Amino acid sequence: MRDLSLVIDATSHGAFEKLTQHRMPGALPFAGKYRLIDFALSNAKNAGVVNVAIFPWGNYRSLQDHIGSGKRWNLDRRRDGLFILPPKNMMLPTEDSLTFQRMHEHIEFFRRSMQKYFLFTPASIVWNADLDDIVEKHIASQAEVSEVRTERGRLQTFIMSRDFLMRRIAEYDIIPYKTISDLVDRDERVKVKTIFHEGYARMVTNPANYLAANLDMLKFEIGRTVFSLDTPIVSKEKTAPPARYLSESEVENTLVASGCLIQGNIKDSVVSRDVIVKKNARIESSFLMNNVVVEEGAVIKHAVLDKETVVKKRTLVEGTPQQPYVTEKKQIVTDQSGFSVLHVAAEAHPFVKTGGLADVIEGLSRAQSKQGIETAVVLPLYKSVKDTYSETYRYVTTETFDFRGEKEKIRVYLIQRGKVNFFFIEHFRFFEREEIYGYEDDCLRFAFFAHAVATILQTIGPFDLLHLHDWHTGLLPGILQQEKDAPPTLLSIHNIDYQGVCTRDLLEGLYPLLGQKYNVNFLEEGIQTATKLATVSPTYRDELRYEYYGKNLTDALLRRDRDFYGVLNGISKKLNPANDALIATPYDISSLEKKRLNKRALQKRMRLSPGDDKFVIGMVSRIAEQKGFPILFDCLKSFLAEHPDVEFVLLGQGDEAFIARLEAIADTYPRRMRLNIGFDSAIPNEIYAGADAFLMPSRVEPCGLSQMIAMRYGTVPIVRKTGGLADSVTDFDPVTKKGNGFTFFHYDSRVLEERLKDAHRIFKERKEDWEAIMRQAMQADFSLERQARKILEIYQSILSD
Amino acid sequence: MKTETIAMVLVGGKGSRLRPITERKAKPAVTFAGKYRLVDFVLSNLANTMINTVGIITQYEPHSLMDYIGLGSSWDLDVAEGGVHFLTPYTDIDGEKWQKGTAHAIRQHLHFVRTHDPAYVLVLSGDHIYKMDYRDLIKTHEKKGADFTIGIFTPHDSLSRYGVLTLDKEGFVEGFEEKPDEPRGDYASMGIYLFNRDTLEKILANGLEEGFDFGRDIIPKAIAEKYTIGAHEFQGYFRDVGTIESLYEANMDLIDHPERLMLNDYKNLPVFTRSSNLSPHHVIKKHGIADALISDGCMIEGKIRRSVLSGSVIVKSGASVEGSLLFAGVVVGEGAKVKNAIVLEETVILPDTELVFETPTVIDNERLWDLGGGRRA
Repeated sequence: MRDLSLVIDATSHGAFEKLTQHRMPGALPFAGKYRLIDFALSNAKNAGVVNVAIFPWGNYRSLQDHIGSGKRWNLDRRRDGLFILPPKNMMLPTEDSLTFQRMHEHIEFFRRSMQKYFLFTPASIVWNADLDDIVEKHIASQAEVSEVRTERGRLQTFIMSRDFLMRRIAEYDIIPYKTISDLVDRDERVKVKTIFHEGYARMVTNPANYLAANLDMLKFEIGRTVFSLDTPIVSKEKTAPPARYLSESEVENTLVASGCLIQGNIKDSVVSRDVIVKKNARIESSFLMNNVVVEEGAVIKHAVLDKETVVKKRTLVEGTPQQPYVTEKKQIVTDQSGFSVLHVAAEAHPFVKTGGLADVIEGLSRAQSKQGIETAVVLPLYKSVKDTYSETYRYVTTETFDFRGEKEKIRVYLIQRGKVNFFFIEHFRFFEREEIYGYEDDCLRFAFFAHAVATILQTIGPFDLLHLHDWHTGLLPGILQQEKDAPPTLLSIHNIDYQGVCTRDLLEGLYPLLGQKYNVNFLEEGIQTATKLATVSPTYRDELRYEYYGKNLTDALLRRDRDFYGVLNGISKKLNPANDALIATPYDISSLEKKRLNKRALQKRMRLSPGDDKFVIGMVSRIAEQKGFPILFDCLKSFLAEHPDVEFVLLGQGDEAFIARLEAIADTYPRRMRLNIGFDSAIPNEIYAGADAFLMPSRVEPCGLSQMIAMRYGTVPIVRKTGGLADSVTDFDPVTKKGNGFTFFHYDSRVLEERLKDAHRIFKERKEDWEAIMRQAMQADFSLERQARKILEIYQSILSD
Repeated sequence: MKTETIAMVLVGGKGSRLRPITERKAKPAVTFAGKYRLVDFVLSNLANTMINTVGIITQYEPHSLMDYIGLGSSWDLDVAEGGVHFLTPYTDIDGEKWQKGTAHAIRQHLHFVRTHDPAYVLVLSGDHIYKMDYRDLIKTHEKKGADFTIGIFTPHDSLSRYGVLTLDKEGFVEGFEEKPDEPRGDYASMGIYLFNRDTLEKILANGLEEGFDFGRDIIPKAIAEKYTIGAHEFQGYFRDVGTIESLYEANMDLIDHPERLMLNDYKNLPVFTRSSNLSPHHVIKKHGIADALISDGCMIEGKIRRSVLSGSVIVKSGASVEGSLLFAGVVVGEGAKVKNAIVLEETVILPDTELVFETPTVIDNERLWDLGGGRRA
């Protein structure tokens, strides 16, 4: 089809976590010897398309390496050919889909491409599509845009004429629709038709459906149509000899690529090139990438093993179809049952809490102890803790060590909570104060804490691994590096805004200082010296690569990019509308109608106009710039003005100027908007349970817990697609009815208002859709167990190095 | 930069003793180890040795081979300077240049050598199985200051099948016998030669009236004329598969002695082949595959023992394949039994057919029809 240009949208990050740490989704290996993007490119080749553009996201080196000049797909040409069009501004994070703005950045490509039609398709669909047929159907339908999809789901694949596209690109900064799917779903003036793809097609977006799509190829009727001999899927040419089977092998329903050496048992799996499976190893329902080695007696179920993973003898690797066990490139997986970890942190609930960190430590340590990890936590013994718990704790030991030329003595106490040991370090001068933080010598206090932990490590341990949290523990890896046989460390960054900076002379003799900087940054030291790093969500991890988010530590983090993970925090099972004593009427997913009673109670308590048909938007938030308030004011004003049935409730405290602006709006709508300033002024659970929608337009949100709580209470989140919000909320798709909330990317008041209007429209006009969103929100898995499992995978990769 | 070494690869061999495998293709195009062609080895060696000016001298059934090699991109030989050149028989003012033997073939294409003006010319054969770094040969050649150097090896089997060399104390060639009944030397010639360019011109300039082969004619003559002839001993696995039996044995060597050719060892001289672009093979039922090499695109429901399967072979349920080589596209029907067979491309074996042989026997659709066990494709 010489009249068609193909645009491959490879901008989607997906939710692959580790799998896309070093590659973009389109470059993910598939079915033993392909990569996902081979499908789009081969479909183009088979239809004779000779003009292809790829809009990549992130690290497209592996993609570039795979595609080369495009010769394999007949794209190595003088005229037209293959174009890779990266974002012009590499310093800014880009949206998760191809926007008209990005197209406009490369308007030259579109101007030069004289083909009459443009087909847009993601790089991560597994299908064998007849593009000629799609073009013909589009022409016949006389639609402006045709969407290609299957009965089962949407494929983000659209075809339109060049003229239509050029007009839209030219208007990118005028029209409120940022992407083609925006246009298709929301611009009623556009004439849209649907083209159904008859055969198999599956869009791959996360480890679970990635594994499932691979295993789909084992089904005869799917495998043979996707890898059709008439319209073959072409991949980069590689060489390996035929697979070799030794006499002990037993293989059933498995795809095996060249170069493999098979001695063990494999069932229902896909095995890529040059994999070695040794005697008595057992593999089931898994996908093994190139050069994986499975040693004698190892057992692997529901796993995705990345390239060059080595699974050591008799090691069990087990995931589930929903949560496959995923290794990373070159990981060595050994049997790691029964190891011990010590969390080092400045606070932990219920002993001491100033922020979310305390909850994370409590929840994570409990979940880990249930996983069979010997878990301990060490904290400073603050005055408040001593006052409350002096009767409860048990003396463990006394140690002395040199600190700035003086002999300092510490005592260590222990409280057991469940199976978790909480150790407390007592030191009068540094820790027994009224407040926890906020002293001039905070840096010195936590330098002392680090030294104290290093000193008692053998006495209260030993531990196989230290899990450090935030800047307070940043010096510990550097201190431990001076010792022999010190355990490896994982540093979790919960809040990058607090870094702990002091002058260099303060740490003279306390810490191995390198470089010539005048100031020492605790968090930066930790980033440079910890064995591995983690932060609180996969998207935030990616965002930290950009200075907009990572600020002064971007460079330090980029240097550790390969050792840096993002794991979404979980929330406790106790947060549950079914047994919440603080709300008017408990309810669960099977009694959603009772949520209405909570709404009435909330309206009453907040002195709002009552009514089930009112659209109640709730917010529980610190009132600060990064929470998105600057884009909220104007939007809220016009949204409330245009929609008399909308009510707004906020609980929070913070910036005075912001509060004043909110109050000004609230004064206009005394019966429709209520501000509760100060966190004690209302019960947040009443808002979580009583509101219809929960708003978080944050500019920055590393993880965010409120949206998870709201979702568990069946309150539909409307959030900006950033950090943990992007990882927990999926935008509702009006066609497939999939999605557990509403998201928007552009930090812009108008965009937020559009999204509020969408939510409002669905709430008013499509009750059953709204309920579907509520159900999907309630079913999302934000458990601590899930978080602990992901953290365990990181521990295992550290321990087997 | 002047090209140091160019290679002339002789691929015109009829492989008469490999019939009927070579009925419609030149010997270098014969399938080996499931997914390779014999010519892959020499092309890969050249690529690994960074010799990328290659003249490929064709004559017998050249089309499938030319198609297969194409621009040489599968071996990274498609470089801007040099690359793969097909040298076919041609006519000029002196008449038809039909090739009468290996040396004669090189002489017909000396113009190719002159165009590239190299220091050395490496003369190779396209149907040998070995992984070799030719730079070692060049090093030996330069160290000894020879006029030309012969690659030699110690064969596993009888020397009488080869050209046998005797060496003097310094390791120069002093005697040569072609396939002697009672060999006097210890080394066999691999049939690969590195010539100084002017030596080659000189040797080929005259004297071809009596004979046209390097082995039979040129080397004895060169010894007689007191050329300095070096010998480079190759230590690795080397096989010249001239017969059905030796082709079969070389394939079985891969199963019984994988350490010999080391096809899986890519770091050390990988062997490239043109990708047939097939999906990984699918083992459907658990009937036991043991001691087998299986290529992409196969679908296996039956039992496979000690066999080599090329691409897109289908073995249906209840079938058993033992001690056999199945070439690309072969179908073995339900319940069929195949033993000690070399089944050629696209052969369809009907259900419940028994093809059980004592010694390796070549089967294709024609022969199958005669045996009453197949159908015409």
